[in-house]
Amino acid sequence: MIRRTVILLMVTIFAIGGLISCAGPAPEASYKIGILVSQTGKFSGLGLQSLEGMGIIVDEVNENGGINGIPLELVVYDDKSSATEVARMAKKLIEVDKVHALVAGTVTALSHSLVSVANEAKVPLVMLSGTALFDDQLGAWCFRPMTYEKDYIDLLLDYLGSDQGIIKLAALLENSSYGEAGKVYLPKSVGDYNMTIVVTQHFDPAATDLTPQLTNIRKSDAQAIFIWGSSPAASFAVKQARIMGIAFPIVTTPSQSAPDRVKAFGEYYEMEPPLVSDDSKLAIWQQLPENDPDKAMCREFDQLVTKRYGHPATTWNGLGAQMMLFIEDGLKRAKVAPTNLEETRSKIRDAFETTKELNLFVGVYTMSPADHCGKVAAKDVLVTFKEDETVLLTR
Amino acid sequence: MDFSVVLQFLISGVNLGCIYAALGLGFFIVYGVTRVLNLAQGEFVMLGGMLTVSFYAMGISLLPSILLAMIITALAGAVLYRFIIYPARNSSGVTQALLTVGFAFAIEGIALLVWGWEYQSLPNFLDSPNIQFWGATIFGQTPWVVGSTFFMVIGLFLFFGRTIQGKALRACADERLGAKTVGISTERMALFSFILAAILGAVVGAVITPLTMTSYSIGFPLTIKGLLAAFVGGITRVEGVILGGIALGMVEAITAGLMPSGYYGVIALGILIIVFLCRPRGLLSARGKV
Repeated sequence: MIRRTVILLMVTIFAIGGLISCAGPAPEASYKIGILVSQTGKFSGLGLQSLEGMGIIVDEVNENGGINGIPLELVVYDDKSSATEVARMAKKLIEVDKVHALVAGTVTALSHSLVSVANEAKVPLVMLSGTALFDDQLGAWCFRPMTYEKDYIDLLLDYLGSDQGIIKLAALLENSSYGEAGKVYLPKSVGDYNMTIVVTQHFDPAATDLTPQLTNIRKSDAQAIFIWGSSPAASFAVKQARIMGIAFPIVTTPSQSAPDRVKAFGEYYEMEPPLVSDDSKLAIWQQLPENDPDKAMCREFDQLVTKRYGHPATTWNGLGAQMMLFIEDGLKRAKVAPTNLEETRSKIRDAFETTKELNLFVGVYTMSPADHCGKVAAKDVLVTFKEDETVLLTR
Repeated sequence: MDFSVVLQFLISGVNLGCIYAALGLGFFIVYGVTRVLNLAQGEFVMLGGMLTVSFYAMGISLLPSILLAMIITALAGAVLYRFIIYPARNSSGVTQALLTVGFAFAIEGIALLVWGWEYQSLPNFLDSPNIQFWGATIFGQTPWVVGSTFFMVIGLFLFFGRTIQGKALRACADERLGAKTVGISTERMALFSFILAAILGAVVGAVITPLTMTSYSIGFPLTIKGLLAAFVGGITRVEGVILGGIALGMVEAITAGLMPSGYYGVIALGILIIVFLCRPRGLLSARGKV
């Protein structure tokens, strides 16, 4: 009798267990977004800022009930500023963490390492990249809601040509995939402003002594220097140029107004003529006129960043936030429950591709199958430096 | 080519060369005595720079800041030897070198937690002005870099040649068993070599910071450059390390000025391969050694 009761009990327990397991896994509780940023290594300054910006948006979204009631969850890995590491960690996010989308959130060179990974694995990737050089290679799964070089090259060249009367230019280009864009776009654009490039020099992103290159520039008949790079070496170039007595205009691509750069190099940025750089409205929003359509958005974001992190919002805070806002917009329109991984990834990708008139910090974006950058309106501004501050250049 | 251009390349080459030579001296001291490749040497340089910046920012004047940085970095060197290398003293050289790599990562991680990722700088020592002559520029801190390397080398020559401690270190480097036989404590000499290398690294870190800035992540790239300088020149002789450092600095300056600077790595590696094929122990191998 007892033996029969025990056997019956065991069979019942196993049956219930079997039924439960047949019900399948519990539905995913959140949208999992895999984040690859440089938290260590030479790009950590930018990566950490980008991550701060992402965190702010995610927290805001979750405090307001998530997206269609489903919270956002970030799975963050450090890519150690290494292209090899970023690809390795991306595979982990895709295969082990089973994220619904990926973000490559630091610099151009690292982001482009993931294009083939994302396309092969069929996972939507949102990437921080400052070059349009490889837009035709983004494939079906990669999206770059960022900048075009054309947006800021034209601004800087117009300043040099119209305001400074420059006709002979020296190009100082970083040895990186970002610098590659300078090699391609700068020669194409200078002719539109009646300029020629009389000397081209290159520098390593880790260089701290650029006197040989600057000596060659000084010896040429260049009237201005266009520095193309985002590494600290670009800032060293400005400093050493001024020490060497090179007193003609210098312009740079974005990132020179990062707070640590201004703190370390501001004295040299301000030497006559002051450095002019391209930047986002976020860097100087307080100086925008009240009727500027982006001032309120910048103010609100800056207040959030200052409250959370104790420092004003930086451009890279904005770029990180921008990628999250792009994802938020896509997820809202995708209206997909994150239960089936493949289906969720595919619907998110489709939603990204149908983004329309999305107003973000550095531009307005409308994506299409043929255009996964989709910038329809640029918001770049020119900035200069005065009394340890970044200021809007008035022309 | 214009004379001022050549002069600027030379100045840049000597500046970089002295930095790499000074880095290489740290490898020379530790390797000479212990036959351990200390791949954390760059972290000693980083610590020296970051600690000097921190103390200086607290209002302590420059020289005491550098001395304090040297003391703390020396402690780091002692910790590396006593708690990591010494327990593994019977392991192979490769194992011990890898242990120093682990230590380097640990130091880098701690530095990131303590100081964050931002670059830090110091003003030129004694506000040394930049010098312009014959169309070339010498940065104000460059004489300090060259001068400190020079005095380090002189100091090492005097130390190894004229002091009991230095002669004991040389004895350990030349003939370890023989040194033990005459009563020299090789473990104590090994500890001393790590401390001395750390102190030299700290000085280098403090001196180069006004020129190159410093941050938690500069250690490893400096380790590679110092290692290259030491091996090209000959890691077992001070003169070899200096020669290797200057040679690499010149190569870097000249390639940066005459061709896309990405070629520097190719050329430096090419030099290394040629040197090792022709002179496996470096350009200046140790006297009396086969």
